[in-house]
Amino acid sequence: MNAVACTIQGGDYAHGGAASQRLKEQLKKIGAEPAVIRRAMIAAYEAEMNVVIHAQRGEFRARIENGQLDVQVIDQGPGLPDVEQALQPGYSTASARARELGFGAGMGLPNIRKATDDLQIESTPGEGTSLRFSIRLRPSALYGEGRHSVQVFPERCRSCFRCLRSCPTQALRVHQGKPQVLDYLCVDCGACQRVCPTGALALAEPHAQLTPAPDVTLVVPPAALAQFGPGVPPQRVLDELEAMGFAGVLVTAAWEEALRAAVREWAAGGNAPLPVISPVCPAVVNLIETRFPALIPHLAPFLSPLEAIRETTAAKRLVFVVACPCQRSALLAGTLQPDRDIIPLENLRSAVAPRLAEQPAGAVRAFTTPQEVDTPPLPLVVSGIHEVAALFELIENAQAPDISVVEPYACHPPGFGSPLLSADPHLAAYRWRAATPAGDARATAVRRPGDYRPRPGLRLDEDMARAVRKLGRIDRLARSLPGDNCGLCGAPTCAALAEDIVLGRTTQEACVRQPSRPKEAP
Amino acid sequence: MTLEQLADSIGAAVQTPGTGTGIDVDQVYAGDRISDLLNAAGDHALLVSNLAGGHLTRVAELMDIPGICLVQGQTPDADMTAAARGHGTLLMVSPVGLFETCGRIYRALSQREAGQG
Repeated sequence: MNAVACTIQGGDYAHGGAASQRLKEQLKKIGAEPAVIRRAMIAAYEAEMNVVIHAQRGEFRARIENGQLDVQVIDQGPGLPDVEQALQPGYSTASARARELGFGAGMGLPNIRKATDDLQIESTPGEGTSLRFSIRLRPSALYGEGRHSVQVFPERCRSCFRCLRSCPTQALRVHQGKPQVLDYLCVDCGACQRVCPTGALALAEPHAQLTPAPDVTLVVPPAALAQFGPGVPPQRVLDELEAMGFAGVLVTAAWEEALRAAVREWAAGGNAPLPVISPVCPAVVNLIETRFPALIPHLAPFLSPLEAIRETTAAKRLVFVVACPCQRSALLAGTLQPDRDIIPLENLRSAVAPRLAEQPAGAVRAFTTPQEVDTPPLPLVVSGIHEVAALFELIENAQAPDISVVEPYACHPPGFGSPLLSADPHLAAYRWRAATPAGDARATAVRRPGDYRPRPGLRLDEDMARAVRKLGRIDRLARSLPGDNCGLCGAPTCAALAEDIVLGRTTQEACVRQPSRPKEAP
Repeated sequence: MTLEQLADSIGAAVQTPGTGTGIDVDQVYAGDRISDLLNAAGDHALLVSNLAGGHLTRVAELMDIPGICLVQGQTPDADMTAAARGHGTLLMVSPVGLFETCGRIYRALSQREAGQG
């Protein structure tokens, strides 16, 4: 959303800070943490006052998107002859008047740099300066509520601990009989959901029901169409959906194909280190940003197929059927609302199944089996989040030099291994391949507007000194634990348990393996 | 020690009462450079400064600082008083200079602590 857009007048000290004040109000409205607001205010106020002090006029624009605040302050002014010099503490060209008022200490830009996660300055002497900075709104849990789509239903948990080992990023804990998903580690792959026998880990609510309306265009993944058994080809389901009264139905397969072609071209263009990794699966992108940040340059800069549809389709209203948590999260990073625009696979199934049973398959349209196009380079398709992680380790170690394109999927088989799919995933994949409906000429790949960014890990404490002390305690405690990572305590490893104890997620008594309870070294 | 008690014990006159009545001061920052004060600011802080302009109240407003203490018996300008009143920042004026004011604050806070301990 656009948070603030306004003009700053150079020399207008009386109103200096007004734009920052408006930004503060917006940040409070969305519930940003006080510590984050403070950092935003330091940076915004310094940037705003720089315009007042040095320039004739300037534009202040702030956007809040994807859990991040982006501020751009562009001025028409004298510009900076040397940006690097201006970033040095104590360097200032402020007027005597500004200094009298307490400004011009030469700490503005250094302060901004300290308070922000990313700062870019471009300046042309005699024309002006453009300053852009970003602050992640949740420093300790950037991908907090709403950012991942695995929801915990604690009352269903029977402490079987299967989820602990299934998680590729050690994001799960089961303390005091309740599963907990650590927001900053969860990549939304759905692996825990797949192994959870009681549904204690499930796709986040709320979500919508399949409700046909003449202004709604429905977007469905292949898995949604291929889950109805041997007698119901995907085209039949598609026809049925269209007959229910939607404005249209889009199948994501064509956008997957468009992305495949774009990634192939990107790899051939020599723009990036090989192998180029396709961003087809949002969970895998999250995995790279969380566990394999060194591979970020390998990611092709495109949106996932669902996001591409969201960004380019000129429909009145789009409603998405999602097969997995990562799709839900990726879609919600925009303006869609879960209770209106997101339908889980099972809701589509329950709404369509009765119609498929009632009506004869007489009116089935012809469908074609597409020719598999093997345009080189041949992508390496890898599926299953642990298999993907294993391959990424090989790539990091330069052990896959012969691969030029990787197409990774968190689920297995690719695109059909959703934990929400009621049919056998391999059968569903086969039935899709055997009778794929015609493609969609509107499909296109879309360049990603922002860059991929490594996810910051957990901040142990807002205060650096306290964080260092906590780190020391975690370290000492971890060494006093058995070290065989048995997982009986509800944490995946002994090191994870040590962190949990120091951060108060559980107590020292959680370790059941030591006859003498672990003692924290003094 | 609350801002009001502190003002009383250092002989400062409260110009505008704050909305944060009863906030315990646990940080005091003195300085005449906006950038320094901005960086130091916290929601239990008192800023002590020579700067009697509206910018100090703006900083207080942006950073949720509950109190400002001007020194040397300066009269805050009308803008500053209005801004402080509007935002509910407690504005006090100490009759002595920055250094002496800080000394008095230090004494007041440490006596208080000694009294508690």
